[in-house]
Amino acid sequence: MRLAPAIVLSQLWICMAAAATDVPDQAEALAWLQKIAAAAAQLNYSGTFVYQRGDQVETCRIVHLVDHGAEYEKLETLDGPKREIIRTPNEILTYFSDTQLVKREKRTTRKLSPAILPEQLSGVAEHYQLHKGGPERIAGYDAQAFSLDPRDEYRYGHKFWVEDSTGLLLKARMLDEKNHAIEQFHFTQLNINGPLTRDSVKPSFAVPLDGGMPDLASPSETGWIVRNPPPGFKKIMEMKRPKRDGKGEISHLVFSDGLAAVSVFVESMPTARKGVDGLSHQGALNIYTLSLPEHIVTVLGETPAVTVTQIANSVSPKNK
Amino acid sequence: MEKISQLIDGDLGEWEARAQIARLERDPELADCWATYHLIGDALRKEIELGPEFTRKLRAQLDLEPTILAPRLRLMQRATRHALPIAAGVAGVTVVAWLALSSFQATPGGSEVAQLDVQTVSPRPSPANAGVTDYLVAHQEFSPSTAMHGVASYMRTVSADESNGAR
Repeated sequence: MRLAPAIVLSQLWICMAAAATDVPDQAEALAWLQKIAAAAAQLNYSGTFVYQRGDQVETCRIVHLVDHGAEYEKLETLDGPKREIIRTPNEILTYFSDTQLVKREKRTTRKLSPAILPEQLSGVAEHYQLHKGGPERIAGYDAQAFSLDPRDEYRYGHKFWVEDSTGLLLKARMLDEKNHAIEQFHFTQLNINGPLTRDSVKPSFAVPLDGGMPDLASPSETGWIVRNPPPGFKKIMEMKRPKRDGKGEISHLVFSDGLAAVSVFVESMPTARKGVDGLSHQGALNIYTLSLPEHIVTVLGETPAVTVTQIANSVSPKNK
Repeated sequence: MEKISQLIDGDLGEWEARAQIARLERDPELADCWATYHLIGDALRKEIELGPEFTRKLRAQLDLEPTILAPRLRLMQRATRHALPIAAGVAGVTVVAWLALSSFQATPGGSEVAQLDVQTVSPRPSPANAGVTDYLVAHQEFSPSTAMHGVASYMRTVSADESNGAR
C-alpha cells in the first residue's frame, strides 16, 4: 500500500507524456479538418459513393461544381426509387420519384452556413481526442486517415480518410460509444477537378415554379434559450422560420461542438395534438420531442440520445 | 386533360372554353378531372375551406349551376391571390410546404392544409416522415458535416428508414 502514491504518480506521468506526444497529432488533425472543409467548398468533383447506415446500404452519384464562386450540387440515389437533391446558393430541392414530390427549401441564410471556423476547432480539440492514422488507399487515391474519439458521452466518434493532395473527404465513419458504425460515406469512384458544366448539376425532374413561398427570416432572437446544454455545445445560429401556410413561425436554434450539430425547433401547440413525447430516430439522427404548456419542442442532431434529451429538457422562454 | 388545365388557367379562347365546358357537362370523368385540378390548385394555395366533402360538393354544384365553370371568374380570383401554377399539378409534380409539427405528429385535424398536401394531393407514405424530413433538411444546412461532405450529407434526409424508436 505504501507504494500506491508512487504508482499513481508514475501513471500520471505516463498519461501526461502520452498527452504531450499527441499534441502534434492534434494540431495536424485540426489542420486536416480545415482542409476538408475548404476542399468540399472549392473543388469541382463528381463520383459515386456508398452511404451506409446500420445494415442499409445505398449507392449514390454526386456532382459538385463551383461556378463563379458559387456552389452547385446534385445528389441522386442509384438504388431503389430515385431520390434527387439539388443544392444551389439559393435553395435545396428534394425530389422523390415514387411520389413525384418536390420539396423546396430556401437558403437565405447561406452566408452564415458553417464553415469550420478556428474558434470551433478549439472546441473540437477540447471535446475529442484526435489521432493521426497511417496512409491508406481509397477509391484509387492515396489517403490520410485520422480519428476523433469523444471525451464524454455527449458526442459520437469519427474517423476520416482524406485525399492527400486536395483534402477532399474520401471516406467518413461515425461511431457510437461501443465503436459500432452508425453511418458511413465511402467514395468508390471519384473524379477530382474533371471538366464539368452547369448541365451536370441540372435537375432531371420538372422544377415547379416558385409560388411565392416566404423567404427565411434573417437570424433573429426567438425568445427561447437552452439553459443547460451539454459541455461544448455552443449556439451557432438562431432564427425564426415562417411556416409556409402563413400561420405563425417556428423558432430554430442550432448548437454545435464543432463537429456535431443539434437543432432545436419550437412552435406553438397545434389545437388538436396527440401527445407523442419522447425519443425517436431518423437514420443517424436522434430526435426528442417534448410538450410545453403552449409549445412543442423538437430537438434533433447527429449526437447520442442523451445530448438531444438534455437539450430538450432545458429549453425555456428567455424572460422567465 | 391538358385542355382542362388550360381552361382553369384561363388560357383558352372564348370558343374553345365554351367547347370544353360543354364537354365537362357531358363527361363525368372529365368533370372529376376538373375537380381534382381545382383541389390541387386550392390545396397549393392553402385554401382551408376544402375538406373531404369538396369533390362531392363541387359535383353537386356542377349539376346545379354549370355557369360557375366560367373560367374568367376563376382567373380574376386567382389574380388577387398568390397564383401557384396549376401546370405543376398537371405535370404530376407537387410542392409541399415546410410542414408544421402538427403534421409531423400526424394529428387528425391538427393541420388540415398540411394533411391535404400530404395525403390527398400526393401519395406520400406517411405524413410523419414528410414532417421529419423538413426538419432534417432545415437542420442539415447548419451541420458541420455538410461543410465537410457537401450535399452528400443530405442522404440523411432522404435515406429510407424502416425502423423507429430510440437508438
